[in-house]
Amino acid sequence: MKPFRWICVVFLLALPLTAQGEYKTLDELTKAYSVDKCKSCHGTVHKEWEASYHSQSVVHSLGGIRNFIVVGVGKEYDEPMSKEHLLRCMGCHAPQIKDASESLAKEIASLIITAKDAKSRSKKNAAKKKLAKLNVNCIICHNTMIKVAKNVRGDPRPGVFYGPKGGKSSAHKTEKTTEISRSVFCGQCHGIYTPPDGDTIGCNTLYGSYQDAYRGNGGTETCQACHMGKKKRGHTFPGAYQVGIVKEGIGLDVQAMGIKLHPGKWIPTAIVDIGLTNKAGHRIPDG
Amino acid sequence: MVLEVTAKTNKGKVIAMGRKEYWEIGLDLDGEHRMGAWQIKEILDLTLPPRKTTTERFITELPKGTKSAEVEVKVTYKPAKTVTLNVHRIVKKLTF
Repeated sequence: MKPFRWICVVFLLALPLTAQGEYKTLDELTKAYSVDKCKSCHGTVHKEWEASYHSQSVVHSLGGIRNFIVVGVGKEYDEPMSKEHLLRCMGCHAPQIKDASESLAKEIASLIITAKDAKSRSKKNAAKKKLAKLNVNCIICHNTMIKVAKNVRGDPRPGVFYGPKGGKSSAHKTEKTTEISRSVFCGQCHGIYTPPDGDTIGCNTLYGSYQDAYRGNGGTETCQACHMGKKKRGHTFPGAYQVGIVKEGIGLDVQAMGIKLHPGKWIPTAIVDIGLTNKAGHRIPDG
Repeated sequence: MVLEVTAKTNKGKVIAMGRKEYWEIGLDLDGEHRMGAWQIKEILDLTLPPRKTTTERFITELPKGTKSAEVEVKVTYKPAKTVTLNVHRIVKKLTF
């Protein structure tokens, strides 16, 4: 084994790889789910992920999450904040909160309100800095969310990193899974969310459109094929905020003609025929 | 997403030929437009469906005496209130 690999192994063995438990502080929780150690061997992938919105899955969505806490739970449900309520958002935006204690979940909810509503900019920034440690990271996708077929295949096992290849690693356990390459895996969060109590959260309807309109009309590509595989997009997962992939998804054909209408009056008239073709695997636009 | 069509005559007059918006309207159980994810229970789908071409036609009379016009077709995409992406722009010259 090359010396570099040995350094990786020693470094990684000293740190937790995947987490389970009930954490009472944000530091404990984020340490358990830290992916800093991943970059020592997967530097390129880590850099791609850092540039993605998955790495900002809480701080990029603060407004909507804050509104749920303050307006949804606080006013419309008229209930105190709880971990169960917070997970209606965080089940996707930061699934690691399932391992937070009740008091930590409430603290995170308070941080979200502070990050949006505090009058002091320094308080806002301090709260955002803490919340930035919560996101959808390597552990979340390669372990926590490997549960689409949990009753058939079992729960994800602690310490195992699931991937499409399952290549052996001396740094951590690996296992090959087809799940992570299928659209339904992404659909866990990019579709209507049904929390355990049976309510529905219409945050995102993308996967419904993929399944019913795209696959229902003969489409065969996966989410991963367009948002990761094509053009070596890797773990940057480009989407609605990146003009390149939006352009790819929308075809525009314009036919135009100038004529003169109304015999005798001869009014110059423009006729424009436009075709907009949705070449994506889901409706455009989608929230 | 917004489709906008304008015509600019040879005399410099800009005429709006039309505008179309494509979006999802989130509705609660009373059919009221809602923005909160927890409030939305149904959507009214006014978007572009996948694997389909949506066609739009605009016919606009221009001022008498117009000899030529540039028709501009723009497609913009707004993933958030404060973000606008310029997706496509095609200009066609018409003569009369």
